[in-house]
This record gives sequence, structure tokens and C-alpha cells, in this order.
Amino acid sequence: MPARILIVEDSPLVTDAFSILLRESGYDVDVAGTIAEAVEVAKARPADLMLLDISLPDGDGLDLLDQLREQNSLPRATLAMTGHGDSRTRQKCLDAGCAEVFLKPVGISELLRRIEHHLA
Amino acid sequence: MSMSHRVSDAALTKRLNALEGKAREAQKTIDDLKSRDALKTQFLSNISHDLRTPLAAIITHAEILRDGMLGELNQKQRDSVSGIVNGGQQLLDMIDEILSYVRSASDQVTLLPTEFSMADLVDQVKLLNQPLAAKKHITIERLNGDDLPLVFADRDKIKHVLANLIGNAIKFTNNGGRAWISFSRRGRDEEELLVEIGDTGRGIARAHYDLIFREFAQVDASPSRQHHGTGLGLAIARRFVELHNGRIWVESELKKGSRFFFTLPLNVPRA
Repeated sequence: MPARILIVEDSPLVTDAFSILLRESGYDVDVAGTIAEAVEVAKARPADLMLLDISLPDGDGLDLLDQLREQNSLPRATLAMTGHGDSRTRQKCLDAGCAEVFLKPVGISELLRRIEHHLA
Repeated sequence: MSMSHRVSDAALTKRLNALEGKAREAQKTIDDLKSRDALKTQFLSNISHDLRTPLAAIITHAEILRDGMLGELNQKQRDSVSGIVNGGQQLLDMIDEILSYVRSASDQVTLLPTEFSMADLVDQVKLLNQPLAAKKHITIERLNGDDLPLVFADRDKIKHVLANLIGNAIKFTNNGGRAWISFSRRGRDEEELLVEIGDTGRGIARAHYDLIFREFAQVDASPSRQHHGTGLGLAIARRFVELHNGRIWVESELKKGSRFFFTLPLNVPRA
């Protein structure tokens, strides 16, 4: 069974690119564009790892972690993706429980390496 | 006598009213310009942020192709796709610079000071610049600084300043040149840290010493110029240094090289 990755990101341009990348790398991929959608998808098909854009149309992506924790569908690792590289944003993500924080765009070889590391 | 006083009082009152009217008008113009400036800043911030997303997608797609994830490419195809990745990355750096400028220009910019080692930070920035320096066979050397006291400053912002100055040193130095970073302490109680970033590059004419630190200014702004960029890098660096009550300046000789200096106070009370 391939590991399942949930991509939470509101831009279809970006989710398309990541879906191709991750499916080609052998992962099972789910996509959600909002926090509400991610809560539903994670409930129906719990993921092993989540790629999370922290600014989503219906709120702060980091709030999703609490909601998933409550319904017991928090993935083993969450990798946050942000457009802001400042240390305050980085710390906020780590405090919320993200395993790592990436500045967009994430280099694909680095991303695949880190995903593999967290799923090992 | 009293008659002439009354006349002159009336004239004065009239003049005063006229001046007050003008002052009100001027204030209105200032308020108007300020709100337009805030709108422009917001626009720049939004557009830069929105430009990042599709660009991130373009770069990721191009990397997928380049790395052969959708089938092996031949050498020519790979070179071409690498061109898309590199061009996208360059564009992204420029967008990030505009975003940094917009953020530094807004009134809400705040410093988040922490204690850190300048030597370690310089080493980090050096490492990031190593690939480009190696390509041009330029050596970057930190000449001293292991025994400096820790500074108390906003690490992200000082890193930005160093990245800009070291990046420029490499960009404007010909193949086989040198760049260096050194530190010294100044003031009666050595209360100021002086950081020097030097290079053996093309140099800057004295007439341009001030110009280069101004927003959107480029020494060569012609469409055929050799070096392209936003012209914001040094303006941002100046703003970040001045936010720390420091100063930034350049000393240079054409065709010999440039030495950029900035100061940071060392006697900052720890919060």
C-alpha cells in the first residue's frame, strides 16, 4: 500500500504540480482547497502525511491541525508551505505542530527527500 | 494711531485666516498623498504575493520535467527546461525583493531582536552564495570575527543586508576576483560594530555613492544594461540598517573595487 499524502492548498496550479510530482513518485494523493474540505477528506481517508499551505481561503491553515487532532485524523507529519520566509511565521508553524516549514516554491528533490524521511 | 492699529489688526486677521486656509489645504494634500501611498503599497504587496503562486507552479512543473519524472529528456531538452527553472527562480528573487521592500516601507515594520553571532551569520550567507561564486571563480573570505561579542538585533533583517551586499560583491566582480568580509569595533567604548564587505569588482563612481541607496535607482538604468534587478536591494539594506540605528555607506574606486560598510550598535539593552 503506498503512503497517502493530503495536499491542502487553494491554488489549483500548485496542487496540479504537486499531484503529478507525488503520484509519479508512487504516493497516493488527495487534494483539498480549504480547511473545511480538508477536514472532510481527512475524515474519510486519513493521510500519512500532509502538505499544508498556511494561508487558506477559509482561515489560517494552522487551525486545521487542531481540528484534525480533535477528530483523530492528524497525519504522522505535517509539512507547512508558506510564502513568507520570516522566522516568526516559521516558529508559529513549528509551535502549531508542523514537522517542517518550507518556503514556496519548494525544490522538488528536497521536498521528496523530506517526505521520504518523515514516512520512513 | 489707534485707527492705524485697527486697520493693521484687521489686515493681520485676514492674513492669518488666509494662511490657516492654506495650511488646511496643504494638510488635506498630505493626507491624500499618504492614503494614495498606502494604497500603492498595498497593491504592490498583493500583486507580488499573487505573482508568486503561478510562478511557483511553473518552476515545480519545469523541475518535474527536468528531473525526468515524466520520462527521460535528451540533453538539449534538459538544457531548455533548466532555462525555465533558472529564469523562474530569478524572477522569483526579484518578486521577493519587491515584497521585502513593501514590507520595509510600511509603517508597521517592527524589529524582532535576538542575540546571535555575526560571524556565524556571515558564514551562512557565504555558503548560500558559494555556488555562484564558484561559477565565477571568486573567493569569498571572512577575515576575522570569531571573538566578537554577540549582537542583539533582528537576525532576519541583518541576514537580508548581508545577503544583498555579499550577493552584489559577487555579481559586480569579474571572474577570478575576490570578496571579503571583516569586522572592527569603533567608538570610545568600542560600542559600535563596523562590518565591511569588500570586493575587487568594477567599482562605483563617487557621483553615484548616494544614488545607489535610493529606491528604484540603478547606476545604469538603460534597457541595454548588463545587470538587471529591481534597484531595491540597497534601499532595503539601508532601511534595515537604519532601523537598527546604524549607518551604511560605500567607498570605492572605479575598476579597482568597492568596500561597503555598515554599523550596528553593540550596547543595545537586552529586552
